[in-house]
Amino acid sequence: MDAGFYLQLLLNGVVIGVIYALVAMGLSLIFGVLEIVNFAHGEFYMLGAMLAYFLTMNMGQGYWATVVVVTAVAVCLGYVLYEALLASLEGGGFERSILLTLGLSMVLQNGAVFLFTTTPRMVQTSQSYVNLVVGDVRVSLMRVFALALGLLAFGALYLILYGTRIGRAMRGVAQNRDAALMVGIDPRAVSRLAVAIGIGLSGLAGAALAPVYAVHPLMGFSFVFKAFAIIIIGGLGNIAGAAVAAVALGMVESVVGGFLPLVMVDALVFGSMIAMLLLRPQGLFGRGVRV
Amino acid sequence: MRRMRLVVAVAALAALAYSGFAQSQEGPILIGASIPLTGGVSMFGQHSRWGAELAAAEANAKGGVLGRKVEIDFQDNRCNPAEAVKSVTQMLAEKKYVAIFDGLCSSAALAIMPLVERAGIPFVVANASATSIAERSGVGGNKWTFKVNPTDASMLDALVGWLDKEGKAGNIAFLGEDSDFGRAGSTGLESALKKRNLKLAAVDFFQKGNADFTPVLTKIKARKPGLLALYAVDADFQNAIRQWYGLGGGVPLTGRVLVDQVPKEIMESGFLDGTTSVQPYDPSVDTPGNKAFVEAFRKLHNVPPILVSFESYEAMKVLIDAIRRAGKADPAAIRDALATTKMPSMLGTVIDFDDHNLAHNNAIILTIKGGKVVVLGMSKT
Repeated sequence: MDAGFYLQLLLNGVVIGVIYALVAMGLSLIFGVLEIVNFAHGEFYMLGAMLAYFLTMNMGQGYWATVVVVTAVAVCLGYVLYEALLASLEGGGFERSILLTLGLSMVLQNGAVFLFTTTPRMVQTSQSYVNLVVGDVRVSLMRVFALALGLLAFGALYLILYGTRIGRAMRGVAQNRDAALMVGIDPRAVSRLAVAIGIGLSGLAGAALAPVYAVHPLMGFSFVFKAFAIIIIGGLGNIAGAAVAAVALGMVESVVGGFLPLVMVDALVFGSMIAMLLLRPQGLFGRGVRV
Repeated sequence: MRRMRLVVAVAALAALAYSGFAQSQEGPILIGASIPLTGGVSMFGQHSRWGAELAAAEANAKGGVLGRKVEIDFQDNRCNPAEAVKSVTQMLAEKKYVAIFDGLCSSAALAIMPLVERAGIPFVVANASATSIAERSGVGGNKWTFKVNPTDASMLDALVGWLDKEGKAGNIAFLGEDSDFGRAGSTGLESALKKRNLKLAAVDFFQKGNADFTPVLTKIKARKPGLLALYAVDADFQNAIRQWYGLGGGVPLTGRVLVDQVPKEIMESGFLDGTTSVQPYDPSVDTPGNKAFVEAFRKLHNVPPILVSFESYEAMKVLIDAIRRAGKADPAAIRDALATTKMPSMLGTVIDFDDHNLAHNNAIILTIKGGKVVVLGMSKT
């Protein structure tokens, strides 16, 4: 095996890791602020990809405009999700939140199967089959775009959480909901915004990855369970922790997959999650909304 | 008075039983089909349904079978053995079906086999390709299961024969889904190579629904195989083929490659030139029967048939022919008639079953040349 082989594995790992981070950050934010595990998160990623397919392939809209529209629609969906379903869980009901989001996941997934069938669809852009080649190392341009969007999303979330009053309010609500209320923060408005941003991120992930992976109603399933493992390893609610854990996991997966059978990779991911729950339940970087 | 009531009750029950019997002898002949109508491979389930329905419609247009219409009741098995057992158990409990059809996925078909054996009802496998289905049928096994399509082992033997003639069989890497389909592919290739004192260069499996194949494809590329046997369907195939292209695989594919599902841009780029695939069917097969089938199918559904539509169409024709020759809609008589089938296939052979209730139709050897799919020829399985 030459150096090009190892470099290729590392590059693949970084790209996969940032893709995981894109899905996991929104999940982590929602848990951090609301203490709700959103089992339907993967389905919002799927809906984002489906909408991206519809806009680019059926409506003829340009890809970059599609990314913006899909993210905006996902943010709006987040608002609706909070007001219609999650607001009723205020003040406890962790078990109810699991059942509710799990039910929502099934409704969205089966609804998509009913409407669109499970036939895989591919989003084609003018760059879909363009590859960047440096020596023996290759990567498709659409993966580089997804990588850039993931980094941009992380940067934007950092700015929101640390550079704006609403970000400080989010961190305040995550730390102590009652204390935040006493100093004049409206927890409901903050929670609503956190869900909107979280679902917006999953919509962005769907639009970013629609030209990379086949689009179909069951596509959210595999990613969301990896995202759960990532946010547990990184620390529930800890967005930087989720991002670091995602990239680390992507690289480990890629390197391990380059030497061992692929079926062992998932065992490694979920084995790491179980080990983390046993040895350091608060995760590598601790709980709480922070970056 | 009590005796009178008893007589009336017995008479009522007898009348009820007779009316059911009379209905089963005079109504349509019912065939129960268990296929994936939802789930990851429902697209194949849809094609299986279209193929079987076309065969039934053609029979009905000619006056039906034994003077009765043929109807197929499709139940969903989601390509899941547990769902297949559930759907077939329900159908068998109703005792109104004369045969069970397809299963489509190998795992589902294997799960259905013991049920039909216990119930004593014929099971016609149209699409599932696992070699173990035939190994467990006929002599010394399940006498109610009949497999119309070729097994993976027989198709791969035909393919490896072609590759060996061209000196390309010596360095094949295998990547397949971790299911009966993928496992049958790897064992089929291994045994076909073993007959020629060769072996697979590498074997890897992946979980169905896996989105990212770049780690394993990077590994395979570094091993520099001569060919890559890819056993993936649906979204897995789309993801794997795109990522193979993205990594500049540089190695053509082989095995049961779904050449009709390769993205146009990749196909036309010539990236897959040299790919040699074996399939039970290709719409471009130049026989009068196939041309008529393709035209009728296109007219109904606006898409060309795929191998699943063909296999279900021809397997349903085999079943209908057996019902006709049995002379009555009785499962045991249909089973006996199936065993003596001699029906011309659209692929130019005569379909008949061997001791393991397996038909040996032609397999199509395809290649990709200049960005286009070309039929190299047909080989008896």
